[in-house]
Amino acid sequence: MGNNEKKGNALTNNPLVNAIGTQKIVVVLVIILLAILFSVMSPAFRQYSTVVSIFDYSYYISFMAIGVTFPLITGGVDLSIGTGMVSAGLVGGYLVTFKGMPTAVGMLAALCVGLLLGCFNAFLAAKLELPPFIATLGSMMVARGIGSIITGGMAVTWPPSSDPSGWFRSIFKISVGGLNLPIGFLLVIIAVIVMSTVLNKTRPGRYIIALGSNKEATRLSGINVVKWQSLAYLISGLFTGLAGIAYAATFQTIAPGTGAGLELDAIAGAIIGGTSMNGGYGTIVGTLLGVFVMSLLKTGLPFIGLQANWQQIITGLVLIVAVLIDVIKNAKRA
Amino acid sequence: MEKIKNNALVKKVGFNRLVLCCVLLLMYVIFAILSPTFLNYNRILSALNYAYFLGFLSLGVTFVIATGGIDFSIGPVMFCAALISGHLLTKSGAPLIVSLLVSVLVGTAFGVFNGYLVAYWKMPSFITSMASMMLAKGIGSVFTATQSVSWPQSTQENGSFRMMVKVTTGNGTQIPTGLIVLIVASIICAVILNKTKIGRYILCLGSNKEAVRLSGVDVKKWEMLAYILCGMLAGIAAIAYVGAYSTVQPGMGDTFNNEAIAGCVMGGTSMTGGIASIGGTFIGVMIISLLQEGILAMGFQKDWQYVITGLIVLVAVYADVRSRKRSN
Amino acid sequence: MGEVILTMNGIDKSFPGVHALDHVNLEVRKGEVHALMGENGAGKSTLMKVLTGIYSKDEGTITYEGKEVEFSNPRDAQAAGIVIVHQELNMMNHLTVAQNIFIGRESMSGKLINDKKMNEEAEKLFQKLNIQIDPTEKMGNLTVGKQQMCEIAKAISHDAKVIIFDEPSAALTEAEIEELFKIIRDLREKQLGIVYISHRMDEIKVITDRVTVMRDGGYVGTLITKDSTKDDIINMMVGRVIYEDPKTQSNVAKDAPVVLKVEHLNAGKMVRDVSFELRKGEILGFSGLMGAGRTETARALFGADPVDSGEVYVNGQKVTIKNPMDAVKCGIGYLSEDRKRFGIVVQKTVAENSTMADLDHYMSGIFINKKKENEVAQKYVDSLKTKTPSVDQLVVNLSGGNQQKVVIAKWLVRNCDILIFDEPTRGIDVGAKSEIYHLMNELVAEGKSIIMISSEMTEILRMSDRIVVMCEGRKTGEMDISEATQENIMHAATLRD
Repeated sequence: MGNNEKKGNALTNNPLVNAIGTQKIVVVLVIILLAILFSVMSPAFRQYSTVVSIFDYSYYISFMAIGVTFPLITGGVDLSIGTGMVSAGLVGGYLVTFKGMPTAVGMLAALCVGLLLGCFNAFLAAKLELPPFIATLGSMMVARGIGSIITGGMAVTWPPSSDPSGWFRSIFKISVGGLNLPIGFLLVIIAVIVMSTVLNKTRPGRYIIALGSNKEATRLSGINVVKWQSLAYLISGLFTGLAGIAYAATFQTIAPGTGAGLELDAIAGAIIGGTSMNGGYGTIVGTLLGVFVMSLLKTGLPFIGLQANWQQIITGLVLIVAVLIDVIKNAKRA
Repeated sequence: MEKIKNNALVKKVGFNRLVLCCVLLLMYVIFAILSPTFLNYNRILSALNYAYFLGFLSLGVTFVIATGGIDFSIGPVMFCAALISGHLLTKSGAPLIVSLLVSVLVGTAFGVFNGYLVAYWKMPSFITSMASMMLAKGIGSVFTATQSVSWPQSTQENGSFRMMVKVTTGNGTQIPTGLIVLIVASIICAVILNKTKIGRYILCLGSNKEAVRLSGVDVKKWEMLAYILCGMLAGIAAIAYVGAYSTVQPGMGDTFNNEAIAGCVMGGTSMTGGIASIGGTFIGVMIISLLQEGILAMGFQKDWQYVITGLIVLVAVYADVRSRKRSN
Repeated sequence: MGEVILTMNGIDKSFPGVHALDHVNLEVRKGEVHALMGENGAGKSTLMKVLTGIYSKDEGTITYEGKEVEFSNPRDAQAAGIVIVHQELNMMNHLTVAQNIFIGRESMSGKLINDKKMNEEAEKLFQKLNIQIDPTEKMGNLTVGKQQMCEIAKAISHDAKVIIFDEPSAALTEAEIEELFKIIRDLREKQLGIVYISHRMDEIKVITDRVTVMRDGGYVGTLITKDSTKDDIINMMVGRVIYEDPKTQSNVAKDAPVVLKVEHLNAGKMVRDVSFELRKGEILGFSGLMGAGRTETARALFGADPVDSGEVYVNGQKVTIKNPMDAVKCGIGYLSEDRKRFGIVVQKTVAENSTMADLDHYMSGIFINKKKENEVAQKYVDSLKTKTPSVDQLVVNLSGGNQQKVVIAKWLVRNCDILIFDEPTRGIDVGAKSEIYHLMNELVAEGKSIIMISSEMTEILRMSDRIVVMCEGRKTGEMDISEATQENIMHAATLRD
């Protein structure tokens, strides 16, 4: 192992490249290449509205992905974020549309649903020590069912932006003189900065990385691993709630029983961004870049004639490639 | 209690499986009390319809779970197989037998794909199979251009394959032939798992892969074979599905993964690998099928099924983790 | 040497069936490097575990800084200033050096971690120790030697007064050891008490002031290093115990055919240019201290780990062994030192484990012939005298010795002619032990050949016809049983390059 210490080519030894991380630079290049590819292949892609819809798609995936980065860093995973997000959107929207509650209450309810889900996962994965993927698979099903049970199996429409109680949509997109501005991106940036700080600059973040790297050694250092592992799932839950709000703002109607599979967009985003499935390593900025790849694909593929069904295939392939790269990286390190 | 456990017959059948049988009977009684229509013969037929395809899925995933892995792609793979083969049969005019073969082949191909990535590339099985779940959904819907596919009815041309599921006699009585098919399939799977080299090595490597490798066994090959069996059975499940329900829509099927896995873990197959029971899986599938029929019969929302299945998985896995910890 | 900082007096500790420590004494002074020596299993680690509160003692007293103490866990010991630098490093590879050193006690400015300050503190620590490590480097990118330095730095940052080094040099290169010694001398200057556990005689002479020797859980004596010779220490370590019936001469004819020939085998760091021959009907003992590379050699030979270079001949034919499958085809069987992890499948039955390596011969068509399988399993249960109610018993319910017999049965069912027995009697009670010895003798009498890796000198001298001694991945000695003594084996086992 030690002999490799100073190896690597000129590029990987460049301090700037080191600071940003090789993988992130590659991902940025991929984003640029994809954008060029789509622009060349489809004139319709070269429009401002396309940029806006890329951003639209990115919000809810971003929130999910930022959240799920934390369980991934602990060496676990959270599969319940997709159905959890839809559930949160459904419950919040149900209160607003069917029960006449203020929009703010609906949003709060969405956050609470996410947090509750996070608590449930934390209990299962950290406290009971069930394998995270199967524990969160269980809660994925529970979340999927409960969301539609609460709404009585009905689809939910949050108030449109024309309605005064549709104000929450302008958190993500405002119209200035007929021009749509994707200001939700600012929110995502704020979330990235805050969560990057939590991850890299606070004790909770430090211990989450530590336990993902070597749980036993962390425990032996006198750190309460159950507590910090729980926190990772709570963060994931909270961001699932946030994603629920963003999802509601992006789409007019939320159908019950959907959301399965969306978690894979987020997980793929995080892994593309360099977060390791083995735990111990991950960056929020990387995750955001990864999400942009996914969102660009989701928006761009229809322009070159590949509809939603192709997106699923692409998501699957991208996920396999990303995980494969991670597996190879880890094998090299060992 | 101990006395019952030590009874020779009980030991032979397995205490846990007996308990499961009791649960199954009890559920039936409860449903029958709560909903009088439940005693209706058609209700039973309808529950069995659900059990056929779920049974094949669950039998298949039992092999994968026995290796200590998981396959989240079986539901969508089943739909993908049904879509592609159905499209060939109804739109491209392929002969029935070819279509049925294609269905099995599509399932097997996904099994090969998953198995290769997991066994030879050492990718985590859960994320690999989730990725191929997306692939299956996408490919099925691309192949049929997002159209749903309806397989021919039993009275129509090429509808003869439905005899595998149900036969209607001259006087209108319906005979659930599918149950016989599923029982035969279960027996074959049980034989494969317990009496052949494939099953022996699958169980052993699920229990201690390194010890098996150091015995000079080609563990990669046997591990991959478990996924191939699983995929093949998902292809057969596709036939059972269309035999019962005719129409397949693209982009669906992922809820069946969870139900199949639930049936399997409920039946006593350990998520950590090494221990599996085909008989248990069979009863587990019957319980899940009865549950979904019961929920329908009592007029509850279908979504309760997701919640209950989810909780079943969690409880079964918790029990498994607990018993492992205790034995250590 | 200054005043006494730590005294352990009359420490006694028993585990069920084992008297692990028999009234052991140890005294450490300030500004002293005190070596703790003894063969594998002499009780050094147990003694240190008693000191740091991992085990509780049955009898005896521990006096630290003039007061009698008893720690209930390593954290208490650490808080009091007694720190162990473990052989296996406990590091979070994804965190930086400074983050590792200060885990659990980060410097904070408000709610945020002040990494800059931690880096500075780490830098100061390293300066104090005169070592060059970048505190911002990821731990996983460092060499094992550098990681060890970080452990030491971590220990010192805890205000340690006594530092215990548990075989620190096992994984280090020559240059790294030099650096380590510089640090240790430095710590000695600073009046710390240092306990240095090692097998390496040369190191002991170079770095330590006094040596305490243990043997079979008992205290043998304490010497002043510079007044004693290497032989003095070795004699104390091996003692003058009379063994039951050491073999006096080889039972193998000089011209017996060579069944296995290994030439210039290289695999990783722990197998370097190893060559040896194994003759028909021979028990070839592999002796050496912990970490000498014997198990690694066996695993590489068996194809369990990748081989870098080297040639293997079986019955004169050159063979390529890339994986265990190839090895088994060549008729080699491997009995691992770690039975539970690598030997048996505990959740399966005796019969299923017995035929694991040779299932092809117990098939009728595509089905496993259960009857035939049970018969062969029963045959070996009988001949090996495995104590099990039936061949359908799960292996997990068997005792260690009987589990070992099941693994042996596995290779006998496969009819392997070359058997590698890696610590065949580890964790096995005395009765079962002699049965396994008896069995090995029967096997070679039948014409099989055995490579026996053992850390027990008694076992090596009692069973082997010829002995290969390894040290640090190299073969450092080879002798016929007639010329082998504990002393010359131990000499070879401590020979560095």
